[in-house]
Amino acid sequence: MLEINNVHKSFGKNQILKGVDLNVEKGDIIVILGPSGSGKTTLLRCINFLERAEEGTINFDEIHTSFKGASKQDISRIRKRTGFVFQNYNLFANKTALQNVTEGLIVGRKIPKDEAIRRGKQALDKVGLSDRYDYYPSQLSGGQQQRVGIARAIAAEPDVILFDEPTSALDPELVGEVLGVMKSLAKEGATMIVVTHEMGFAQDVANEVVFMDGGVIVEKGTPSELFSRPKDERTIQFLKRIIREDFDYSI
Amino acid sequence: MRPFHPQLILTALSKTLPYLWVTIAVMIATVVIGSLIGLLLTRANIRRRLIGRSIAQIYIYVTRCIPSIVLLFIVYYGLPELLLAFGININNASRAVFVITTFSILFSANMAEVFRSAYEAIDPGQREAALCAGLSEWQTFHRILLPQCTVIALPNFTNALVNLMKEGSLAYTIGLLDIMGKGQVMIGQNNGSFALETYLALAIVYWCMTLLIEKVFATLEKHLTRGQKILSDAP
Repeated sequence: MLEINNVHKSFGKNQILKGVDLNVEKGDIIVILGPSGSGKTTLLRCINFLERAEEGTINFDEIHTSFKGASKQDISRIRKRTGFVFQNYNLFANKTALQNVTEGLIVGRKIPKDEAIRRGKQALDKVGLSDRYDYYPSQLSGGQQQRVGIARAIAAEPDVILFDEPTSALDPELVGEVLGVMKSLAKEGATMIVVTHEMGFAQDVANEVVFMDGGVIVEKGTPSELFSRPKDERTIQFLKRIIREDFDYSI
Repeated sequence: MRPFHPQLILTALSKTLPYLWVTIAVMIATVVIGSLIGLLLTRANIRRRLIGRSIAQIYIYVTRCIPSIVLLFIVYYGLPELLLAFGININNASRAVFVITTFSILFSANMAEVFRSAYEAIDPGQREAALCAGLSEWQTFHRILLPQCTVIALPNFTNALVNLMKEGSLAYTIGLLDIMGKGQVMIGQNNGSFALETYLALAIVYWCMTLLIEKVFATLEKHLTRGQKILSDAP
């Protein structure tokens, strides 16, 4: 469904991505792991053109283009087929929870208002915020804001949802509610690419785990393969550092 | 010196007030033109294209460093010369034209800074989120960013407006017959007498105007931020 090849991206002289390939099929839950600075977030942002990669190609169903030569229409079509959940929620501060969700439907996708509101409420119900439709972001807790962010991403029923460290900015006791929502989405068959440090989530939900370091994919495989039998030295070092006693796989 | 006659303040008020509309009209024209130029400058500044940005920054720097009275005279004497070179004669144009030109230039530079700081106060993540939600750049700007910028810019805008009104009183120096100009004429007709009463009357008018502007914009700000205040019963 979604295939990206040989993605290169630099910021000035600093090369972040050095040729990354990723293949996503419908229903895949792909978790991307890696130390900070390894290019995980940049990769995600390149997929829906928040960053413009210098090199590489993207094939999204019938859309075939290079990152560099993508037209405005290509970008707009790809963005409308993807949902993006941000680390810092990035809710529209001047809109209520429901308006945050419906804005993209009504304005971006020209869906009739009634239908958009119905779908917006449905999305908010799904993330457990049926009683917060008319709250502004400033009135919501971090976990609730992030769930609005997820509702906003899923309301348009995108083909793939991109999660950029969705729990990293949350207080520890709020992480669970967001991960819970993501797990239920996964159960419903959503296609997701998730950048996270939540090993438990990767282990329970992912069908592929990708380990990135230094701008390349070092290793990938099923969670059990990667966690119990990592091959590359860098993966082993990373897992040692990140996995604590709450993780019951032996390395 | 003549004794002070408080009742003459009222006389001065009644004689100068009919000219208040000139002051207000010049102000409105200046705000409209100055804000539009300010928006263009902000746009050039934000887009980070080298040429546009350099021009905008030089313009802002130069105009912010000129005292208004100096620019007023430069425009008053210079603009007709400049336009004459293009075959346009504005030597008989109303004084208001020069006043509006001068203060639009000054106001636009102030506005450019006010708008830029308001724009930069908003987390760029909201723009990205809007683009991801399927909005175009323009939709993102006018649906998400602009309403928030407006609220943030409002207090600084009000300040600039009050300053504009006060500095606008300098327009009498090139002969504009606004409320200040009328006051000067009255003092002249009285051969310099009752100057204190006249200036006190003018002070009262400017004081009321400032109060009015600040009240109106405070109300507007309250209206625009309704519902977004953090409620005490928030979880």
